[in-house]
Amino acid sequence: MRRIYSIGGGKGGSGKSFIAASLGILLAKHGKRVVLVDLDLGASNLHTLLGMQIPEKGLDSYVDKTASHLGDVALTTTVPNLYLISSTRCSLEIANLFYAQKLKIISAIKTLPFDYILLDLGPGTNFNTLDFFLIAREGFFVTTPEPTAIENTFIFMKSVYLRKLKLSLKEANLWHTYQEEIAKLSRGAFKSPLDLINILIARDPEKGRVFEELLSNLEFRLILNKFRGQVNENLGEQLVEVCNRHLYPSFSFLGNVSYDNRVYESVLARNIFINKYPYTKTVSNLQNMVRNLTGEQQESLRVKVQQ
Amino acid sequence: MIKKFEDFNYYELLRISYNASSFEVRQAYKHMLAIYEENSLATYSLFTEDERKLILSKIEDAFMILIDDEKRKAYDNDLVNAGEAPDNLLTAREKKKAIPIYQTSKARANNNSLARIKKKIREKEAGDLTATMLRGDQISGKDLKNVRESLGIELEEIFQVTKISPTALAAIEKDDVANLPPKIYLISFLKAYAEALQLDPRQIVEGYIKNIS
Repeated sequence: MRRIYSIGGGKGGSGKSFIAASLGILLAKHGKRVVLVDLDLGASNLHTLLGMQIPEKGLDSYVDKTASHLGDVALTTTVPNLYLISSTRCSLEIANLFYAQKLKIISAIKTLPFDYILLDLGPGTNFNTLDFFLIAREGFFVTTPEPTAIENTFIFMKSVYLRKLKLSLKEANLWHTYQEEIAKLSRGAFKSPLDLINILIARDPEKGRVFEELLSNLEFRLILNKFRGQVNENLGEQLVEVCNRHLYPSFSFLGNVSYDNRVYESVLARNIFINKYPYTKTVSNLQNMVRNLTGEQQESLRVKVQQ
Repeated sequence: MIKKFEDFNYYELLRISYNASSFEVRQAYKHMLAIYEENSLATYSLFTEDERKLILSKIEDAFMILIDDEKRKAYDNDLVNAGEAPDNLLTAREKKKAIPIYQTSKARANNNSLARIKKKIREKEAGDLTATMLRGDQISGKDLKNVRESLGIELEEIFQVTKISPTALAAIEKDDVANLPPKIYLISFLKAYAEALQLDPRQIVEGYIKNIS
């Protein structure tokens, strides 16, 4: 079964690309066929984290129709089973994608022939980023234990919900009915997506429930990157609890990723961190996440119980 | 329908089950304070100062109500009447109570059986009875058993008073030499047994030892 994960988080430099690359590598090492899609248009650098030169083909070849399938522009990497769809060669203008092009990319990503499709997103909350994030039903929010990063992550989360609701309303031809009320509420930085849902329920309970269900279908996981000893070790759990209570009950905590100065060094040296320092805390944190995602942890637990 | 935070009841606010113990209430209260306190990293950007104050005072209220048995009962009543909590809430909690480490009821049982034994001995006017049964200088386990049974005292009651294991007591009464405790213990066991039945400990110990050796 194909699984799509989008990896975002609002703030630049929180380590989205590092997490995406690392999870991709580890999933590939588990024998899965994995493709990383660099969707940080205009500022893509996933290839650097994978120790690659500037790729000769990528998303641009699909957009300008040189390649007929998006899967054709997936590059092999030094890691077996891991592929990369780069957007390096996209012209600098591509950050402002045409709507039709965006839809074309989105539907192509959804049908890529891989086990795991990991979408690495850019910072900020512009519509392209949000729409790409919402390709996946399962999203990862990467943040660091700093007030600024956490603040941006909350804003990003809210924007994702607002965008999802808006797109779904448009799809159902209902956007005009609610546009004004929702715009009014979101102008004053709405508190919870439930406020938006409640507007719909107040007007039409039955339809409102449908949209409530639609948002409930999203599944979000939080990753706390660059975790250091002096940080409250429950912060991740606390954040997830706050999200579930004040935003929408769809969040779970995937884990901390320990800070390691050598991550920075290996980015500079264009080494793959996981390969160079496999026995670090950082890598074991990431391995636990992958085990969690592939469901291996549950299986080994089950074996233990049977014994 | 998903409940908004503003509509949470006190249990939901502290994220505990309806039958949480007072220990759990306290833990949950501390946990929530850590999340919503003023300099909490998890929520600092999420609320205005007024909103935070409101949340904190609501958590405070929740704690003060749920930690107080009387107030909690009244609150539970309101919840059940409002249809928010299950009807069995009020009876369900009775089952889950703190268990004391030292059970005083057990100690009382000990006193009870001692009193019971004394009463039985008094009623049967045991003096004459035991005198005829324990004649001679050798006393067997069977003699002891006969005395005990004629007084209407159970082996279990001897155990309650003396704390000598029932298997050891049974071995004594059966003259089961192979399973008797080492002599030094045997002597003190016999003494305790004799005292429990208000017999002369010296006579019993000497008679018993003579009989088995």
